[in-house]
Amino acid sequence: MKIAKSTWSVRVGAIATVAAGSLFLAACTTGGGGPAKPVDLGSGAAVSGSVKANALTGQTLTFVSYGGIYQDGQVAAAISPFGAASGAKILQDGPTDNAKLKAQVTSGNVTWDVVDTTNVFAAQQCGKLFMPLDTSIVDTSKIPAGLLTDKCSVPAMSYGMIVMYNTKKYGANPPTRWADFYDTKKFPGKRGIEGGTGDLDPGVFEGALLADGVSADAMYPIDEKRAMKKMASIRKDIVFWSTGAQSQQLLESGQVDMALVWSGRAYSAVKNGAAYAPMWDQWMPEADALAVPIGAKNPKASMAMINYYLGSEQQAKLTELTSYSPVNTDSKPKLDELAQSFVTTTPERVKDAFKLDNAWWAENHDEMVTAYTNWLAG
Amino acid sequence: MATVEALVAGPITADTVIDQAAPSKRWGRLGLLVPAGLLLIIGFIVPLVIMLWYAFTDPSVGFGNFAWYLGDAVQQRILLRTFTTAVNVTVICLLLGYPYAYAMVAAGPKLRAVLTLLVLVPFWTSLMVRTFAWVILLQDHGPIQSLLATVGLGQIPLIRTNLGVVIGMSQVLLPFFVLPLYAVMTNIDRRLILASSSLGAGPITSFFRIWLPLSLPGVGAGSLIVFISSLGFYVTPALLGSPGNSLISQQIFTQVNGLLQWGRAGTMGVVLIVITLAILAILALVIGRSTSTIKGVR
Repeated sequence: MKIAKSTWSVRVGAIATVAAGSLFLAACTTGGGGPAKPVDLGSGAAVSGSVKANALTGQTLTFVSYGGIYQDGQVAAAISPFGAASGAKILQDGPTDNAKLKAQVTSGNVTWDVVDTTNVFAAQQCGKLFMPLDTSIVDTSKIPAGLLTDKCSVPAMSYGMIVMYNTKKYGANPPTRWADFYDTKKFPGKRGIEGGTGDLDPGVFEGALLADGVSADAMYPIDEKRAMKKMASIRKDIVFWSTGAQSQQLLESGQVDMALVWSGRAYSAVKNGAAYAPMWDQWMPEADALAVPIGAKNPKASMAMINYYLGSEQQAKLTELTSYSPVNTDSKPKLDELAQSFVTTTPERVKDAFKLDNAWWAENHDEMVTAYTNWLAG
Repeated sequence: MATVEALVAGPITADTVIDQAAPSKRWGRLGLLVPAGLLLIIGFIVPLVIMLWYAFTDPSVGFGNFAWYLGDAVQQRILLRTFTTAVNVTVICLLLGYPYAYAMVAAGPKLRAVLTLLVLVPFWTSLMVRTFAWVILLQDHGPIQSLLATVGLGQIPLIRTNLGVVIGMSQVLLPFFVLPLYAVMTNIDRRLILASSSLGAGPITSFFRIWLPLSLPGVGAGSLIVFISSLGFYVTPALLGSPGNSLISQQIFTQVNGLLQWGRAGTMGVVLIVITLAILAILALVIGRSTSTIKGVR
């Protein structure tokens, strides 16, 4: 979920604070509230969506996410109710900024207790910036298969990177597979692809390689040169987008005829009247993750919050508020037909999904981003 | 900015005033610099030192980051692109800003007020607002494209091109060129022009031999401010350009936020500062020489 992640003012602010002042300030201010207060979360196995009443009275927890309707939805669906049930005082911060997080952890002055980030970053930083989750506090039994990718995080919701096509242009003969996305002879027109500096989601290279004839089981390790060569073959027709808002705007203004976009943005564009439809064949599943930074003041309390967040009621409400898909198999969100069609965790969607190797991405993310950024800039 | 001061300062400078005062008074006046000095130390010197520290120590002590930067062909292309963009923006500001500042000086009081307002309103408007306005103006189906199509020039790609970035940056930075130049031009003694014409010089000769040389310090100050600001511009190139023509600030962002490689980001900052200072030093030498010849003539 990257609604506000790439807000430009935030980026500017991040450079200024991180590169310039944050370490200095962190070094000058005293650390958090001293040693953690003992927490009694009750006995017995953890059950997602519940917390022992008033177990955290007097504690303060800071929840950090990407802002916008997404964070509002998270807070309304799970975080505020958690505060009411547990007695903890809830603070919010955002948007999530990996550089700020690193500054906090390395300076030992961690003010963030639960952080919403990408699942690749969570896996990559497991044991470095994030601590392993205690499964006696966090109940992971209801998380849909394949979404639990590392020991330090749980999914915060689920969505996908999907191909949207212009129904006015290709409606009679719509694209059905990745090869069609890269075939500008059979499907002439502009293509939208994620291409901001410093960002590359899993799925962009995979799509290009699938179009180039690589089979799904021979995908990893990714041959990024081959993927970029495939992309270069239609480069003059590619419009690169770097924020979710931009990708949505490309669809709503009709500037591209097909685009690889996040499903939440695709849904919003269609809801706003953009004449586009999704191609679900081998779509790329993605998820945000919730994790606890190393050095968080009270890890048990943080994990209790995460456990509560994963409840089926909470997840249903989150989906109703944000259109992102729930990460609890019992969840039954009440949605209209259009919103329901963009839910990515239903059996028929899961069946069509490409099996992304998140662990491989965690290992190779930086190398891939560097290669892609250089290709874009070169 | 010492160069800028040297360029703008007239024959009697603040320094000479202080030098003539008694020692105790001199220290008292220097005391007035303490708040600004403290701000400079906390807000600029300390972060600069931290940046240097990262460049040489993260992830390991040594010149590894510099070896990476100097060995990376893509980074060098981006550095070159950053400087050519800054030069282009400065030249455009010069071409647009010089006649404008001249018109401000030559105009009557009412027209001058209007012209000044036209410079200041964009100057007071938020950078984000102006940049987004350019996004709308330059986009593929935007007003500029339809205008070009109407006059039969067809599609000239503007948004997501370096040309679009240069247009946007020039507009954003134009006030920084016009204002110092205007300040210098208002102080030029207009009787010198009268004197030259009484000695037989036509308007063109008067302009090139009297007005232009005397306005050069303003040109120098405006150019320097625009050039140096261009080097570090982030928002405008990020929104109007594309990853395919990114500038060094976007690359630094990638290292800081995307890859958490603060050593590399620090290195890029150091490289940018060093090259900028070197260019400034060369310019100061060249301009210093040319202004001293002007003084000699005077």
